[in-house]
Amino acid sequence: MRILKLSILELMRRPKKNMVIASSIVIAVALLTSLSIVSDSANSAIMEIIAKTGHTLTVRPAAGSSSAGAGEKSQEYKLTTSEVVMDSYIPEDAVPEIMKNYDKAIREGWERKGGLVSNPGLPEASIEPPTWAPRLFEKAVVDGHEVIVTGVELRKEYFVRFWWNLSSGEWPAETDVTDVNTSVSKMYVIDSKGNVVINKTEYGVDSSGRAVASLGKKSDATESVKPILIKGWDDAYLGGTYAKARGLKVGDKLTINNTAFNIKGILEETNSADDYMIYIPLRTAQRLFHKEGLISLLSVRAMCPNCPVGDAMVALNKHVTGITAVSQLDVAGVQFDFFNMLYKFLLAVIVSTIIVGIFSIFNIVTGSLYARIREIGMLKAIGASRFQLFSIFIVEHFILGLAAGIGGYFLGLGMAYILNTLLDIGAVIQITPNFIWRALLLGIVCSIVAIIYPAYKLSKLKITETFRTQWET
Amino acid sequence: MSEFIETKGLKKVYQVGDQRVEALKGVDLEITQGDFAVFMGHSGSGKTTLVSAIGGLTRPTEGTVLIEGNDIWKLNDRQLSNFRNRKIGFMFQSFSLLPTLNVLNNVVMPTIFSNSSRKKNADELKTKAISLLADLEMQRKVYSFPSELSGGEQRRVAIARALINDPEIILADEPTGELDIRTEREVIDIFSHINETYKKTLIVVSHSLTWLEKAKTIIVMKDGLMFKDVEDPVEAIMEGVCKQ
Repeated sequence: MRILKLSILELMRRPKKNMVIASSIVIAVALLTSLSIVSDSANSAIMEIIAKTGHTLTVRPAAGSSSAGAGEKSQEYKLTTSEVVMDSYIPEDAVPEIMKNYDKAIREGWERKGGLVSNPGLPEASIEPPTWAPRLFEKAVVDGHEVIVTGVELRKEYFVRFWWNLSSGEWPAETDVTDVNTSVSKMYVIDSKGNVVINKTEYGVDSSGRAVASLGKKSDATESVKPILIKGWDDAYLGGTYAKARGLKVGDKLTINNTAFNIKGILEETNSADDYMIYIPLRTAQRLFHKEGLISLLSVRAMCPNCPVGDAMVALNKHVTGITAVSQLDVAGVQFDFFNMLYKFLLAVIVSTIIVGIFSIFNIVTGSLYARIREIGMLKAIGASRFQLFSIFIVEHFILGLAAGIGGYFLGLGMAYILNTLLDIGAVIQITPNFIWRALLLGIVCSIVAIIYPAYKLSKLKITETFRTQWET
Repeated sequence: MSEFIETKGLKKVYQVGDQRVEALKGVDLEITQGDFAVFMGHSGSGKTTLVSAIGGLTRPTEGTVLIEGNDIWKLNDRQLSNFRNRKIGFMFQSFSLLPTLNVLNNVVMPTIFSNSSRKKNADELKTKAISLLADLEMQRKVYSFPSELSGGEQRRVAIARALINDPEIILADEPTGELDIRTEREVIDIFSHINETYKKTLIVVSHSLTWLEKAKTIIVMKDGLMFKDVEDPVEAIMEGVCKQ
């Protein structure tokens, strides 16, 4: 027989008292574990956003222009439109100026840093040109329900929002529709490199009634181009939540402002406003809503790690009038700071609770140990040293704390899921081994801290003092 | 040549509130190896205090306790614990068996605190414990729990526990307290058997006169003083009159 076995048997001897002690520790561990899990998961979500959009700059119409703002919500779809700009536009003519200022600021910031931060000295030539993705937001009533229709250049949009995935359907063909006149008079098509493939095309209508570009010539080419079907001008892609709510699927049709669209793809949900929108080609949207030459928002994704996006933001706000540039990194940073502040506050509350809890455990443990005075006297008389006695109590409470830590971990895990759902935090709960180690450590520390003082006092007790006490049965 | 157990000018003073109680008033005692010494006397005469001081349980206020010539009260806590574990087998009425452990585990319990016994393997200890229990006619109760044993059987288990580390001294405080006459005689016979078979030095504290039949040395305690080799110990105890 060893001290470990003796400790286990002693623990089993007082199941009720030990259950009370363990329950207090379980609650403490569960509280801290749930907070840690929710907080870490929320932080991870924010960090993921930072990772996704960290090098993304959003250019909006300047403040003072009408904007949907953060407060506007659609009751029906819980649409948070903080990422949406309504009734306020940037003329497309301003885009070259914006791009020029952006490029200049990036280059200057780059030079000041002395090359890539991650790879110092890497030449500028290694930087890929940024991708600019314009958006036009308009409200429309579709099938009797108001929804935001967003005009985008889908391939560019997909490039900037590289986390987009289709849950069904397929991405558009190689070419983007760049100009569509729904009265079918003039169409332009450019390829993925931005070259005009067809201009001044004549049009036609195929057997199914779709617009067809007939023979045309590349502006810089002499050979003839075969007639092609201008794919995509009436394609629509739906945000995942919207499609789910409306029961729409790929292949269905929907009508926006009396124009029929074919649903070509459904996006996976991203926990953002993107989930609630309908996406149609930018040119189609401009024509449909009579906003030719206007966009609501311009996103740019810098194609270099640690790009000086902050410099570009400052430069754009300083040199280009009528726009506001916002770094997504800053937006996420504010969220991150807020959440950290909340975490620290809750942590302080929980730690205070744990300290109070430890005092309660301390009282129970002290009472429980003093009931064992005779046993302690007997153990001392048969040769247990102070250290060995102390070890018995510590091992007992180590086991108790370990068991409570495991219980607290699983309870905390459950609480984290419940909190995440009830408080609508929206984080994807992520479990790492760190949580279990922390829970076990906390359980053990709480249990042992509560026993150290009474165990120390009792281990110092004179054997003859134990004679006068009743034996605990 | 020094005695096996020797006390010199042993005093113990308890402070109870404002009162100073002298439990031992300078006891000089000599016990030879293999002795069967029984300490008798009224309650409060100091016999338990004296035996506790010899067993390394109660630190005396003054004087020395020499076991094989070594002053045990000069040892530190670890050394004293080791001394108790190795040299003395305790059997106190108040030090009952642990209810969570079966008879076998109660018997081997002192070995978990013993450096030398820890080196022995579990089977060896188990065999020794079963052999001791068999010698005390407890072989059929090896896996019983204390609650399933009679008072006499519990005493036998406590004796086996006291013997497991093969100590040279067995120290028993009221080992037959609360037992009926028949069981008391059985326990006393066991002590006598241990003294003769295992050659252990026995120090017993008791109120019971039955012990006088088997004791080799009778020590009468009165008011913190010790009287050895009294002419009529029964009278001395009953009347409280002690003659040297």
